Amino acid sequence: MGRSTPSPAAPGSERNAHEGRDTRQVAKVPEDAPAPEPRQGAGAPHPGQAGEAAGAAGVPGEQATASYIYGILPGDVELTPEVRGVGDPPGEIRLVRHDDIAALISDLRLNRPLGKPKDLMAHQQLLDDVASEVPVLPLRFGAVMESPEAIVRELLAPHHDEFRTALDELEGRAQYVVKARYEEGTVLREVLQEQPEASRLREEIRDLPEDATWDARIRLGEIVNQSIEAKRDADTQALAEGLAPHAVAIVIREPTHEEDAAHLAVLVETDRQDDFEEALDEFGRRWADRVTLRLLGPQAPYDFVMTQM
Amino acid sequence: MTIVQPSGGGAAGRPSSSGGGLADVIDTILDKGLVIDVYVSVALVGIELLTINARVVVASVDTYLRFAQAVNRLDLAEGQKGLPELMQDMTQGVAKSKTKGIAQGALEAAGEKLRDFISEPAEEPAPRRRRMREED
Repeated sequence: MGRSTPSPAAPGSERNAHEGRDTRQVAKVPEDAPAPEPRQGAGAPHPGQAGEAAGAAGVPGEQATASYIYGILPGDVELTPEVRGVGDPPGEIRLVRHDDIAALISDLRLNRPLGKPKDLMAHQQLLDDVASEVPVLPLRFGAVMESPEAIVRELLAPHHDEFRTALDELEGRAQYVVKARYEEGTVLREVLQEQPEASRLREEIRDLPEDATWDARIRLGEIVNQSIEAKRDADTQALAEGLAPHAVAIVIREPTHEEDAAHLAVLVETDRQDDFEEALDEFGRRWADRVTLRLLGPQAPYDFVMTQM
Repeated sequence: MTIVQPSGGGAAGRPSSSGGGLADVIDTILDKGLVIDVYVSVALVGIELLTINARVVVASVDTYLRFAQAVNRLDLAEGQKGLPELMQDMTQGVAKSKTKGIAQGALEAAGEKLRDFISEPAEEPAPRRRRMREED
């Protein structure tokens, strides 16, 4: 993790899946960055750095603003302010500290509804970037409090010990999401082979107009759907069991598509990431032509911070 | 099933990236992550939170009819591989990456998708810069 090798230069992130891409610069920050003042006083309005940033957060009094909260971080983290938060124009991100923890926030003007696609993307991108270097407790999208002072008073101070413990547990760990989707042709053939009734119904509706075969179609679709659900349960189980030896924890997510084969969130020790990916590759080979696997991450541990407070 | 697609975006000639980035984000940050009592404050603060539903699958008559249609179109004579006309556009790009290692290929693909939705060339002249390090 970034903090374990305190170098003023960019800390090396173990693995950046987006090398050379323009939106993930965390791991290769050049030293010539026109670093603004390293830290702002909590709550102090700060003028934007330049161009479009001007006026983003620096119009005191004119507009009602609140503080949008992305997540909770260790307090020994330093953050270069960047204009990449939610809102339009985007807010400048910064930390509000309390003891040895901090909240990652940006100012948010209240004159516009929150939750546009850009806001959602900004929320997750920021948290994922941060998570690649330090432990972070991601908040669900949409957490807003009235001021940085209120964040310290009502969020950080009362929950300090829980946050601190959770952050310690997450040190050196990252979340990945595994999405598996059936290849439609392959899975339908499996169903037809395994379900004689489906096969029969297929013959029945063949070459007949749709309105003459309504009931048969519904029944056929129902059988297919049930069969795929059963396959999903079995394949999800198999995948989770196969990945478990390489994971700290696994959460089985709800499917997001009727042809999903599995949808998992996996918490992985960063230094065991290769083992994990190899295990996943193994499933890729086993399921070639049958299932398409996607791996998203590393991400902030969204699925592993659900403790209620 | 509610899937919010971004307006515009998506690199031309890459239909395989549809349904990627934003959909994945929606699956992740809308109903996961720490929930705290600050949500009480949201109302006090007075900002309107757009409601976007996390994606859920609810089997319906439409689902059944679509499956029936897909089965009806299925050409059993055609072998185990191929069937390009039945494959969803969405899966194609990623399917290709299987040849060079599932995990790696998918990672790259996901990165591209995220980037596709985010990149608005006119708007971001300066590279993003951020540093974190131990504070002594």
